[in-house]
Amino acid sequence: MVNGYAASSLREALELRRTHPEAVPYAGGTDLMVENRPGVTYLFLNRVPELKTITEDDRYVRIGAGVTFTQALADDRVPRLMKEAVSRIAAPAIRNAGTFGGNLGNGSAKADSVLIEFVSDAKLRLVSLDGERIVDVDQFYLGRKKLDLAPDELIAEILLPRTGLEQYNYQKVGGREALAISRVSFAGVFAQKDGKITNIAAAFGAVSDTVLRFKDIESMLLGKTIEEAKALKADYLAAYAGRMQLTRGRVSAEYRKTVCLNLLGEFLTKQGI
Amino acid sequence: MEKISRPVVKKDHQAKMSGRALYVGDYPGEGVLTGKMLRSRYARARVLDVKVPPLPEGYFYVDRGDVPGDNNVNIVMDDTPVYARETVEYIGEPIGMVVGPDEKEVRRILAGIEVSYEELEPMLDIRKSDTVFFDYAYGRGDVEKAFAEADKVYQEEFSTGYQDQTYLETQGMMARPEPDGRMFVHGSMQCAYYVHGAVMRALGCGPDKVHILQDVTGGGFGGKEAFPSILGCQVAVAAKKANAPVRCIFDRREDLEFTSKRHPSLCTYKVAVKDGRVTAMDIDVKFNAGAYTTLSAVVLQRGLICANGIYNVENLRVHGQALKTNTTPSGAYRGFGAPQTFFAVEMMMDHIARDLGVDSLEFKEAHLVKQGDATSTSGKYHFPVPIPAMIDEVDRACDFRRKHREYALPQTGRYRKGIGMSMYFHGAGFTGSGERDIIKAVARLHKYPDGTVEILASNGEIGQGLRTTFPKIVANELNLPLEKVYYSHPDTARVPDSGPTVASRSLMTVGELLRRAAIQLRSVWKDGEDQIVEERFREPDFVIPFYLDKFQGDAYPTYAWAVNAIEVELDTLTGVTKILGAYGSFDVGTPIDYNIVMGQMEGGFLQGIGYASIEKMDYDARGRIRNNSFSDYLIPTTKDVPNLQCMLHVEKYPDGPYGAKGAGELPLVGAPGAYVEAMEQALGGVKLNHAPFTAEDALAVLTKEAK
Amino acid sequence: MDAIRFTLNGNEVSYSGGGSDRLLEVLRDTYHTTSVKCGCKEGECGACAVLLDGTLVNSCCVAMGAVEGCSVVTLEGFRETERFAVLDRAFAQVSAVQCGFCIPGMVLAAEALLSKNPHPTEEDIREGLSGNLCRCTGYNAIVTAVQNAAKEGNGVW
Repeated sequence: MVNGYAASSLREALELRRTHPEAVPYAGGTDLMVENRPGVTYLFLNRVPELKTITEDDRYVRIGAGVTFTQALADDRVPRLMKEAVSRIAAPAIRNAGTFGGNLGNGSAKADSVLIEFVSDAKLRLVSLDGERIVDVDQFYLGRKKLDLAPDELIAEILLPRTGLEQYNYQKVGGREALAISRVSFAGVFAQKDGKITNIAAAFGAVSDTVLRFKDIESMLLGKTIEEAKALKADYLAAYAGRMQLTRGRVSAEYRKTVCLNLLGEFLTKQGI
Repeated sequence: MEKISRPVVKKDHQAKMSGRALYVGDYPGEGVLTGKMLRSRYARARVLDVKVPPLPEGYFYVDRGDVPGDNNVNIVMDDTPVYARETVEYIGEPIGMVVGPDEKEVRRILAGIEVSYEELEPMLDIRKSDTVFFDYAYGRGDVEKAFAEADKVYQEEFSTGYQDQTYLETQGMMARPEPDGRMFVHGSMQCAYYVHGAVMRALGCGPDKVHILQDVTGGGFGGKEAFPSILGCQVAVAAKKANAPVRCIFDRREDLEFTSKRHPSLCTYKVAVKDGRVTAMDIDVKFNAGAYTTLSAVVLQRGLICANGIYNVENLRVHGQALKTNTTPSGAYRGFGAPQTFFAVEMMMDHIARDLGVDSLEFKEAHLVKQGDATSTSGKYHFPVPIPAMIDEVDRACDFRRKHREYALPQTGRYRKGIGMSMYFHGAGFTGSGERDIIKAVARLHKYPDGTVEILASNGEIGQGLRTTFPKIVANELNLPLEKVYYSHPDTARVPDSGPTVASRSLMTVGELLRRAAIQLRSVWKDGEDQIVEERFREPDFVIPFYLDKFQGDAYPTYAWAVNAIEVELDTLTGVTKILGAYGSFDVGTPIDYNIVMGQMEGGFLQGIGYASIEKMDYDARGRIRNNSFSDYLIPTTKDVPNLQCMLHVEKYPDGPYGAKGAGELPLVGAPGAYVEAMEQALGGVKLNHAPFTAEDALAVLTKEAK
Repeated sequence: MDAIRFTLNGNEVSYSGGGSDRLLEVLRDTYHTTSVKCGCKEGECGACAVLLDGTLVNSCCVAMGAVEGCSVVTLEGFRETERFAVLDRAFAQVSAVQCGFCIPGMVLAAEALLSKNPHPTEEDIREGLSGNLCRCTGYNAIVTAVQNAAKEGNGVW
């Protein structure tokens, strides 16, 4: 076809990626077509079967980069937290086309599935003709619209932990009930064992160049009991307040910051902290 | 339900439902040139030079030098240019148009045009603007005395923002030079004869050299009242120059940024209260008119007439200005100036009541106008005012009084509730004597030998149902099956000028002409003959003549009435507010079709709720409208107000067909007052002064309180 | 260079333009299926919604290269079905059509919903139509129409 390459297998896709690095990988198209770069050439991945499956191994639910949000919503293996987030994306027509890989590849901090990948320490499997590498999702994002993706690489899978995501807070703040781009999004995941906090991950979407997560602040409460955490709560919240340098967008930076801190506080409160 | 109110399948249902209806963008493009605007990049600048690159064959650049007639568009005044004059007055003002067969090439040429400007300082603030387009004042009683004798004087300022009509079909027009030398202009519009007058003037030709056809129109809401006159002139001039059909359809971004929308407002209310009653109001209204006057005069008039709401205020002084800024010209939008002042007066009454320690609903009820009372302009409420009964209807639907008391108590917890109520009218039809002195509507019925009857009028079906309700009236009067009566989209070559499709007037005023015409036809009906009957507008006898210079007399012959209540639940962590229910009782007289009227009420009410809450649009320090896409300018979806309940209350108007009166605009007007009052409760009894009131605004109030 | 082959309303067609061209524009300009409306070109209004291999998508957000081998159904095709007839009656009965511009997308969204969920709740319907903006109706009549169609069309979906 003119202005486009279509791949029917992952191998073919990677070959095309190497020979035509200028071609933009096209999965669902819902972001690319809005952007509509003049004279763009696409590498169509929507017919690559290897990218369209959801599988499981002992540690991860492995979501193919070409899996659509609608497909994930109908799959029992996809964690509830991820489903809750993607169910709030736009509206059915967008969820039918939009994919996990596309949500990542677009590089936006507003991507609702990416927020969950950040909070759950998901990994990405990136592939090229030379092989594959597994990266942590937070290492993949280098900055606004900047990704650690080589010109001949493709995102193949998202590796989402199978366990540990049961106890969570999730909130998307959009401008309306549907067809809403996140203005702030928050996900918190909590776990404890033997009375000690083993995980207290918090991620903030749509408020900066990338999804924000501050693992060093989280570590303040790791290994602590609820009572100990309560005593540290004020310091913990102050640490977040100090670190959040938020950008303005459709709403002001102040609004974003207040909402982030409110939702973070609520997350702790809900865990009894 | 009366027979005339029983719903029927709408006459335009089939074509629209099956996707066969042709909107202006749907006509085949073969041989049609596409036009795209060259727009100003500055809010105010002198255009020094426009360098157009060499054009391929078949491509043209069109600007004011190509206007054969007058480069001024005939709206109320004539200051809006067809194509920009020496200076541009707002960002996006059309300087010229590139037309040609291939859209991509047109865009390429457009991108290659170099315009040099000398930037001038723009005026962007209505508080500072010294260009007053319109200035009106009226009053009654002795305001000074009332203030001098008052127990307490209140003063507050209220503001409202833009609202975009956001019809789903963007603006689009097409012009085609016809072999006989006429110019044929058709497209998406409300007022074929407005376009007719404007195009005639731009082309400098007589009325028979131009004809205008309304295509199937994908929504208007006022946005296609005056604007198509401008675009119609622009495409007609281009078609004249290219001697070929030219079509211009706006992108959504163009439409959101550069077409007229509701006037932002700033209202200052000073109110005197004595013995627990409002004795005087001194009101100052400022509307942001944008760069050209378009319809601001009439929008302001309506806003001022409504400024004291539906309350008896013995001593009244109202002053209003429409001020120029270097922004997109504001224009008509459903409600037409009334939503702004009704919002202000409803909030003001609410605030005074709370200060006095009385229930705001009871306070409003104590001031309600009733039949026989004088209107703000010393006219008369000739007919019963059904508001008390309508308040009861709304109260029953949502348990308003109980909730209103309950939510006023201190609330704790993450989610907090509120409920608010507004009550208001919409003056039915044109303001003042426009109908009698300017429009002078004429409508005809053409009976064909086969017994079918065609309605000849110039009012456009824009979704509100005229292609169905007009025939229903005529069929009813002639005792014909509905299939025998039809109404097509108006073509000025075929139909008389029955006036524009505005001001909630079509059904009430033109519908009544058609009813009378049908009675006339019935009395002269001869089987097998071709017959035409005609009716002309007559002002009802009871009307007290209106004088615009004094703002005195009946501004409207009658009023449509409404009571709205909105219940909200605020998330104090995010400021996001869920609408638990929206309840409206609407009196538009006899519904000529129950479903059609309910559709108008529900649709208009939801637009009003959008205006009150999420529809925020503003311009930046350069004068550029920032909310220019569907992801930045948010209108309600199916999920935003699932519990939207409308009720009809019928208070018949004897001079409207079967008792019908103006309907279209009413449901939008009151939502901001009800919504913002509800937000005040949810926010713990604060006083709020602006709409839209967004999540960010709510959180700002909570943050301020926390400090 | 191979043309892009797909079926449009059951007919095999081949498109020789660019792979990055918008399905929306190709449907309107090349194949004259003008029931497909352009409301925003940003996936934010649903006026251009079509069925792509049976699922609802916004045709403004689909590049032609992604259509290769697919089935595209617009209202021009769907209006020939019994399901459409049920929806048609239901929409007519409650006068759910006003300006009509959102309707082709709305009808296909209703079809997409009912074909997956023949007995939806009101909430399901509001979710299913949530990507289709309508500025005229306030949505109540449309939601009622789809509810009634589901009832009356028992067995069609």
